[in-house]
Amino acid sequence: MKIEIQNLTKKFGAFAALKSISLDVASGELLALLGPSGCGKTTLLRILAGLEFADSGAIRFDGDDATSQSVRARKVGFVFQHYALFRHMTVFENIAFGLRVRPRKLRPSRQAIHDKVQELLNLVKLEEMAARYPTQLSGGQRQRVALARALAVEPRVLLLDEPFGALDAKVRQELRRWLRRLHDEIHITSVFVTHDQEEALEVADRVVVMNAGRIEQIGTSDAVYNQPATPFVYHFLGQVNLFHGRVEGDKLNVGGMLIDKPDGVQDEAETATIYVRPHMLEIDPRPNQHQHFRATIKHINAAGPQVKVELITAWGAPIQVDLSQERFRVLALKKETEVFVSPREIRVFAE
Amino acid sequence: MALLLKKRSVLPGFGLTLGFTLLYLSLIVLIPLAGTFLKTASLSWTQFWETITAPRALASYRLSFGASFIAALLNSIFGLVVAWVLVRYQFPGKRLIDAMVDLPFALPTAVAGIAFTAVYSSQGWIGKLLEPLGLQVAFTPLGITLVLTFIGLPFVVRTVQPVLEDIEPELEEAAATLGAPRWRTFRRVIFPTIWPALVTGFAMAFARAVGEYGSVIFIAGNMPMRTEITPLLIITKLEQYDYAGATALAVVMLVVSFALLLLINLLQEWSSRFHKVN
Repeated sequence: MKIEIQNLTKKFGAFAALKSISLDVASGELLALLGPSGCGKTTLLRILAGLEFADSGAIRFDGDDATSQSVRARKVGFVFQHYALFRHMTVFENIAFGLRVRPRKLRPSRQAIHDKVQELLNLVKLEEMAARYPTQLSGGQRQRVALARALAVEPRVLLLDEPFGALDAKVRQELRRWLRRLHDEIHITSVFVTHDQEEALEVADRVVVMNAGRIEQIGTSDAVYNQPATPFVYHFLGQVNLFHGRVEGDKLNVGGMLIDKPDGVQDEAETATIYVRPHMLEIDPRPNQHQHFRATIKHINAAGPQVKVELITAWGAPIQVDLSQERFRVLALKKETEVFVSPREIRVFAE
Repeated sequence: MALLLKKRSVLPGFGLTLGFTLLYLSLIVLIPLAGTFLKTASLSWTQFWETITAPRALASYRLSFGASFIAALLNSIFGLVVAWVLVRYQFPGKRLIDAMVDLPFALPTAVAGIAFTAVYSSQGWIGKLLEPLGLQVAFTPLGITLVLTFIGLPFVVRTVQPVLEDIEPELEEAAATLGAPRWRTFRRVIFPTIWPALVTGFAMAFARAVGEYGSVIFIAGNMPMRTEITPLLIITKLEQYDYAGATALAVVMLVVSFALLLLINLLQEWSSRFHKVN
């Protein structure tokens, strides 16, 4: 199902949680709402579900206005961060709940409910657990039960609020891959909220980066990571080094390093801030033909696929450079030595 | 066994606290109750049986346990409503009402009995209005049930309230997204969650009502076979220096109360079985 969101605004007292949000979710898409806590992502999800209502704006499900539809009428599946399973019911009864509470005329037969629940138990790989109570399950299993319960009513859209937020790192990783595979199987339009950038980038077809009630950027994982639209997205998705430069004619002076004035610097601007990802900086023991500046190595962390080198620039700013293990061994870097740093790719944002 | 007891634990003081608990329970509960049984033992079986199955005694059991049961049942229903209102809604005077719930704990029961008698007797404010409807409250089993309801009210409210407060709003939201109407959400999600607490509250209100004496004697009228509760019958026997007879009735009350409370406890354990982790 296709979802259209237009100019959605929501205030809690004086606090503006959503400031005119517009967004389209394509049918069958897995979309991530990513942002720091308090950015409005959960509020947006709850408004989509009908658990909250917007002050203004419109929501359309497949073209039909759903803005003021009740949560029961919307037919959405909702998965909560803390599972919200019914503790006094077994796994089986939890999953069957949505079918059993239907009005008598629409309620499936006992056998149909039983078959449906078995099918969902297979889907979430919990066939053996049907008779258990939620307290007898692990966190990951509980969240799978919650997902099966939401899918039992055959919702038009699946909404997940920080679904892996309460799980430990390893289970979280397993479960998000599993969710991705599941989505590839059942193709239900899904929106999930997360503050974990890695999770959003790994799982979603498209990522919506939100900040302070606004959308900063919408795009594929690749697009939001490699072509951030705003300084916020740069900061939020991964590490970034900032350099403050002075405009001198058609050049930009960054601590003595003169580079061509990049696109994005306004004509009348006197200063500009440059954004460079740590892996887009190169270290050389000697000056090379590229533009460079001097820095002193302060700390080296060689554990992991990439070597993280912390340096202090000649003008006293801390920066981080990520190198491959091979490159690190070739350079034979030592602490407290002076090196020459050159950027390969930079971005400038108008200030 | 010795090994087991010597097992090291980070929680200190097991021996000391258990010893104290046993001593305390013995002094306060077990020894006085054992005295009751000892005194009763001075009767022969036939005497004992005749005492406890006398028509007047049987009528008093029916009244005591029956009225207490109805009162506890009423408290379970209305106590739940009061707890619900206090937890779920914000309104002016909420704290005042919250404090009022505890009044039956603090008020001397005799005062409550006198107040109820004054209000519900045929000349009282409310009794005056009920009289033309053919409803007599004071000096009838109805009046007894009424005061027993009064003194038992806080138990249900205070046991259900914290459980109700702990119910996460997500549970109801989850039920709503699954299409459950309000009433079904209450019946199938909220009610099963508070049920164990409700049963505890019921048991406490019931136990309190069975043992109540002070407030009942004022409103009951204390007519043998009609409005005489067992505790009053015991007092009557004491006043006639029939100590063994009094303790015989006390033993019956003890055994029946204990059996009922045990039953309720088992029921409660069964109904909260989903809390257990294998």
